[in-house]
Amino acid sequence: MSFFNSGLFWFIQGIFVCLIVVGFKIWMEDREIPMPFWKWLLLGIWVLLFGFTIAFVGTNLGEKEPQAALLGGIVFGLIAIITAVGLWRLLLIGKNPKK
Amino acid sequence: MNRRQFLKTTGAASAALGSVGLGFFGYEAGRDPESYTGWELHEGALQTFNRKRYAKDQPHYKRVGTTSRPDARTDVIFYRRGDFMRNWKDETGIEGLPEHLQAYYKKYPDVLEQDIYQMKEVFPKMRVDYQKYRDKFILASAWSNAMGAVSPQPINQPPEESDFPRKRRFGGTTEPLKMKSPEKTSKLIKQIAHQLGSTLVGIAKLNPDWVYSYPMRGRGFEPDKPVAIPEHWQYAVVVGTPMSWDPMYANPNFGTSNDAYSRSRIVAFRVASFIKQLGYAARPHTPGTSYDLMVPPIAIDAGLGEQGRHGVMITPELGCNIRPAIITTNIPLVPDKPIDFGVQSFCKTCKICAEQCPSGAIPFGDRVEVRGYQRYKIDTEKCHTFWNQNLGNMGCRICIAVCPYTRKANWLHKAALQVSANDPTGISHSVLTGLQKRFYPGPDPQKYYSPSFGGENASFRKPPWWLRAEDFIEF
Repeated sequence: MSFFNSGLFWFIQGIFVCLIVVGFKIWMEDREIPMPFWKWLLLGIWVLLFGFTIAFVGTNLGEKEPQAALLGGIVFGLIAIITAVGLWRLLLIGKNPKK
Repeated sequence: MNRRQFLKTTGAASAALGSVGLGFFGYEAGRDPESYTGWELHEGALQTFNRKRYAKDQPHYKRVGTTSRPDARTDVIFYRRGDFMRNWKDETGIEGLPEHLQAYYKKYPDVLEQDIYQMKEVFPKMRVDYQKYRDKFILASAWSNAMGAVSPQPINQPPEESDFPRKRRFGGTTEPLKMKSPEKTSKLIKQIAHQLGSTLVGIAKLNPDWVYSYPMRGRGFEPDKPVAIPEHWQYAVVVGTPMSWDPMYANPNFGTSNDAYSRSRIVAFRVASFIKQLGYAARPHTPGTSYDLMVPPIAIDAGLGEQGRHGVMITPELGCNIRPAIITTNIPLVPDKPIDFGVQSFCKTCKICAEQCPSGAIPFGDRVEVRGYQRYKIDTEKCHTFWNQNLGNMGCRICIAVCPYTRKANWLHKAALQVSANDPTGISHSVLTGLQKRFYPGPDPQKYYSPSFGGENASFRKPPWWLRAEDFIEF
């Protein structure tokens, strides 16, 4: 078992997630964009999709399945980009127009 | 930099590092040898699927007519073709064959044609190809033979002699020990089987329909006399281990059945020995040809898996990469229930094995009646003929390698299994099949053949580094 399959890795990932949430919250506050629960929920779902895409590519490279890694990267990556654009427009709902 | 800016920067850095970390996690999950189920430990922790949740009172195959028992002399193709080749003479034709073969070939003349084709057309061409191309596969062959080099002494006595415990030293008893309960005994036997090296273990009440009506040679039964099923064959303990994963994906040329055969054989003999030492009867039935019964339906009865379109049992943990063996016994046990984790629905839409089968032996159609039971029926003659049209280690195993269930036990494939097992609509089965076909394609099936039959000695995936002969041997 390597570091990236260990409990320590997921512990560190957990810390990263906490830092991301705090940093993102402050970033949105600075832009006066409100973040009700549904926005956090949608964001969380998108992060899962994004994480799935990265892990999918890595796993298939590790399995020596380059075609699956490439196709999966393109298909799921495109889905992640398109949904990111849509998500950003949703996140902007309620933004203070003066800013 | 103020506190807010620091936290924002840290958050952005965490997002970048976390994403990179996920990529590395995925890479490690994909290459991790521990995701090759079967090689990590023998504590029973590998049988991870929650079978109770998917348990059914009846197996997925249905009894649809009058049942009959298979005749090992004709229904087991290795046995029949071996007999045929030993006895066939052009001058006497079918009349020179043993009576049971005469009767069989008169009933199935197309099978006779295929058996003659293999002997007269396939073998001469393969002898030529063997001389020309065999060097490339010399390490795979050596490894396969090495795996098969250790084997328990075959059982060649009838059940009433071989199955019962022998007297112990110093006047020890051979009377059966009084077990506290069948439940506890079942738990014990399963744990012992895991400890002795079995990846999966299940228990079934023995259905007599799975016992051969006429025996295999070398099992202690009188040849050409019907098998009377011994009373002490009440339960079947099913054990099984997988073939080594990387060579298995490089079938038909680099894989072998010998590795799992050997491991399962040894486990079965050890489990039988354990049961006998408790004073009960036990008889191992082991691969490749030391059976008195058909193994796959018993393994299905024992809840280890379901039959796939390719005729092979599919298990949740190993897909179809399992070589089972059986111990028949009279020690009181509690049978497991058969399971239904969606394989029948999946196989209806998937058909990848049928598309990838070079010989066309796997049906695209639905299940049919075989000896009174509804099941998928492969064309064993075509299948076995292809065994001798590639340069691999006696066999093919492509259907096992290409099956979407035969995947490593990492997060990705475990998640796909859970989705598939819990989808009553079958929508996910179509989606997963589509992804499998596009993301993990195999070569043109014709390329699997040896060059004399228009092929290129192709394999489903590249062999592992340790089986690439050209990297180690000067030719």
